Amino acid sequence: MSLAPLRGRVAYVFEEADFDVDQIVGVENIRLTDPDALAAHAMRRFDPGFAEKVEPGDVVVGAENFGYGHPHFAPMIGLRRLGIRAVIADSFATGYWREEIAEGFPQIACPGITGLVARWDEIEIDWEAAEVRNLSRGGALPTAPYSTAERGMLQAGGLIPYLREKLAADGSG
Amino acid sequence: MGYTIAEKIMGRASRAGAPVPAGTEVEVKPDYVLGYDFPGYLDLIFKQMKEEFGIERVAEPERYALFIDHMVPANTPEEEELHIVTRTWCAENGVRLHEREGIGHQVAAEAGYAVPGGFVVHFDGHIAQLGAFGTLAIGIHTQLLEAFVRERIDFTVPETTRVNLTGRLAPGVMARDVFHHLVRVLGPRSCRFQVLELGGPALGDISLEGRQTITGLAMFTGALTAICNPDRLALDYAKAHVTQPFEPQASDADATYAALHEVDLTDLAPIVVVPPNPAATADLADHAGLEVQAGYLGSCASGRLEDLRAAAAVLKGRRVAPGFQLHVVPTSQAIMADAAREGLLTTLIEAGAFVTSSSCDYCYGRIATMTAGQRAVSTGTLNVTGRMGSPDSEIYLCNAAAVAASALEGRIADPRPYLAEATEAGA
Repeated sequence: MSLAPLRGRVAYVFEEADFDVDQIVGVENIRLTDPDALAAHAMRRFDPGFAEKVEPGDVVVGAENFGYGHPHFAPMIGLRRLGIRAVIADSFATGYWREEIAEGFPQIACPGITGLVARWDEIEIDWEAAEVRNLSRGGALPTAPYSTAERGMLQAGGLIPYLREKLAADGSG
Repeated sequence: MGYTIAEKIMGRASRAGAPVPAGTEVEVKPDYVLGYDFPGYLDLIFKQMKEEFGIERVAEPERYALFIDHMVPANTPEEEELHIVTRTWCAENGVRLHEREGIGHQVAAEAGYAVPGGFVVHFDGHIAQLGAFGTLAIGIHTQLLEAFVRERIDFTVPETTRVNLTGRLAPGVMARDVFHHLVRVLGPRSCRFQVLELGGPALGDISLEGRQTITGLAMFTGALTAICNPDRLALDYAKAHVTQPFEPQASDADATYAALHEVDLTDLAPIVVVPPNPAATADLADHAGLEVQAGYLGSCASGRLEDLRAAAAVLKGRRVAPGFQLHVVPTSQAIMADAAREGLLTTLIEAGAFVTSSSCDYCYGRIATMTAGQRAVSTGTLNVTGRMGSPDSEIYLCNAAAVAASALEGRIADPRPYLAEATEAGA
């Protein structure tokens, strides 16, 4: 089983290092759980017209240590509802990374990505070659490798289906 | 080739049963699996166990311990119902439950789960503070579910950044300042996905309580956890609290580190962490005089005896500023009882502090909630927007003595003059 190919536009570039993702929906909304409500709040303070511009399959890009602070699930629930299929960043904060990989939401560590792409560039993620390509203006960069467990969670669609596979393997082993 | 303490502990807990180098993918069996109830945490794990995996009972209940330390006391029927779910699950599973004993990360040490050489998982990263005792304790977030449905969990053995502390802390400068200074020197991404290992001659001068404070906040350097090689102090504590035999581990002299730093504590002065960023470290002196309306002394990151002693030394014979709300919440009930025996609570109460039994609830604004425009000094874990109430309130993190000094003045204040006066009076 392999990961589904990803091809889409860079819907936004968060240029701030150590970016606190809760800002995406606003701290006042981080207790919300309804994807539609979160989608309605998402990105308003960064680009009020974001929801109209984004298309299913788009990705967002972050800088160093994306997800630092005390991240909640709400922002990415909102972004996924708007059609965002992956987050690519120069590097990720440890806790954020672990939680979103467990959600089965592709997080792609790609040192230098903020220098490779600009907003609305078309990009492609080649899982087999482990690289991100800029289809709009050329250039490519390697992505950091996943552990077997991380890749397993992304392929299975999250922690629970992944653990089902593991338990089946434990039982037959 | 030598190994780090993390490589040794994770190797010991893996199928290999022997040290494994960083980067190796292993299946590790935690010595203890810990967690607390909060909506969407344990209740979700119990539900997922049953509904997704058909598992009603954990296989080895003695490896689990759960805590009721949030929403204590309950203030809605729903909160109490959640606690009942946890109590019922523990009773059915034969799993130990620690309720109303204090903040779980502290109670874990008191109850003997901080085993030198042991491997512990929790969803909350502040469990890292068991590293003060030479325990590798990691917050693995939602992936804690794996530890409830499988005997072993997948882990990649982390690299380690080693920090040697040198020099001597000046009076009025506390372990809390040491941690925030490390973030200032190393940066908030210095230890991403790594273990932060603390050592050096100055670590021996820092109490176990201080080491709990430093290791418990490791996540703000990006680290998975932090750990100290256990010394006599740590081993004596473990012998008094851990009930089973244990085998302490320590890093080899020729262990391989991702980075090695030396941090001199000699000239360190009290620090504040400026909202809304846990990495925005500044000297307290640069923010002294800023008006504050509330103060919180407590949390898993401070609120232990040495913190209460420092605050009492500042407050003894004085009164907090009119209208100032000073909340003092000892980290555990055992600590509160010790503080009572020492007379610290009397001093704090007579100075005007509002002293309450141990609970996590002040740290995240569930109680003592701030409204727009209010500002607190706090020894809580975090200063992000809205953490203690309104998104338009602010939190300046600092040490316990600085919270006390600021309470006296109603402004961010340096505790050192008060402490110097207290020392003179005592001499």
